[in-house]
Amino acid sequence: MKGRNTYHFRESIIILLKTKWIGPYLILPPMLAFMVYAEAYLSAHGITGIFTMEQRTVLAIWNGSLLLTLIAGIKSCLFFSGIWESSWFRNSLALPVSKSSGFWGPFLAVLSVVSVIFILTTGAVLAALPEPGRFSVFQIIAESYIPVVWAVSMGAFLGLLTTGTAGSIFFTALLLIGFLAGLPIARLPEWLFVIIPPVGRIMTLGLVFPQGLIQTAILIIHSIAVLMLGRLLYSIGSKRR
Amino acid sequence: MPPYISIGGYSDPPRIPHFSIEAEGGELVAIVGGPGSGKSNLIKSIAGIRSAGRGSIRIMGARPGTMRAREMAAFVFQNSNFAPDLPVRNQLDRRIALIRGVAVRNVQRNVADWCEKMELTEAAGQIPGQLNRSQLQMLSLAPLALTTPSVAVLDEPLTNLSSLRVSSALSVIISLLEKASVLVLVQNKSPLVKRADRVVNLA
Repeated sequence: MKGRNTYHFRESIIILLKTKWIGPYLILPPMLAFMVYAEAYLSAHGITGIFTMEQRTVLAIWNGSLLLTLIAGIKSCLFFSGIWESSWFRNSLALPVSKSSGFWGPFLAVLSVVSVIFILTTGAVLAALPEPGRFSVFQIIAESYIPVVWAVSMGAFLGLLTTGTAGSIFFTALLLIGFLAGLPIARLPEWLFVIIPPVGRIMTLGLVFPQGLIQTAILIIHSIAVLMLGRLLYSIGSKRR
Repeated sequence: MPPYISIGGYSDPPRIPHFSIEAEGGELVAIVGGPGSGKSNLIKSIAGIRSAGRGSIRIMGARPGTMRAREMAAFVFQNSNFAPDLPVRNQLDRRIALIRGVAVRNVQRNVADWCEKMELTEAAGQIPGQLNRSQLQMLSLAPLALTTPSVAVLDEPLTNLSSLRVSSALSVIISLLEKASVLVLVQNKSPLVKRADRVVNLA
């Protein structure tokens, strides 16, 4: 039957295109511009070490990715918990829609919107800054996309586990820990990076060629694991109601 | 042929100790219960969005929540039939298209005509928060009027309606009886109790 698998995806997309949900992403360009300017300033004054032009482009892509990860994660927690807790969503499951579309529809809708913003952000960085030379552009883009997917997956999991506000606070803390743990000054045992999302490490390793493939793989596993846990929670939740 | 709807040994302690009923096509059954008597939980259990606990519920022989049951049944809940952020008409378009299994553009004219007939054209263009309860309740009956379910289950369908809209809503519900079995969960004073073929007390 037509629309059986896409009903919740379409409803979610329409909701997500409202100013309330899309608006916060507008702070991304000025924040990114500020970060690029600040990093250039700090580098010029010898505070962060000298970055080559290639590295500045790569750093700007990573900055864009991490800012988007932060916004997407917070908004995902709020959106998913709001939609899955709502009475209208529960009542809509009485319609002839596929049951799994109630989970995958909103998830893919958020991922689609965030992916479009990622493409626009990365495209703007690549258009404004010099080509990253010996770095593989495709590889950098693919790697910097993974934290964004991780954020949405984590948002889905936390949105089911707790309230939107609690989920956003937990997500922000987790992202901050993951980011700080990746800085060169952080001295943490290797095994801890299996638990902490290696979002910071993936970025610092990404500045040196060849880039952090193992960290990327760990973050992909993180994303899949939390997404599957979210799917499991969704199934349990819908049976228990 | 199985009954259109059958509920056997359903219980929702402490409110409903034991409840059984069977309804056939063309039959309007009023299930009567006061506020807090478990009517809303019962409709959710029939819809398959809440665990039924004890007892068995079947819609044309299918278990609640299965695709077959959801294809054949229409549910009107007392509240929250619409997403709060989207215009009601667009939601109705997509919902009715989904139930009929056609593209949205194929139902838009029908929805617009029905809204016009019910003098709800302007209201349908608003989001739910901008409408009063009477308008929302009337609009929530649109899928019943524009699709052909075999079973319809309605929770307090007339409670919030203004007196002017009650007769329109009644005619929508009565017209369903040509092909469907209709279960209405209502309080004792509802006009549907007088129209019902059978009245069953919930408690």
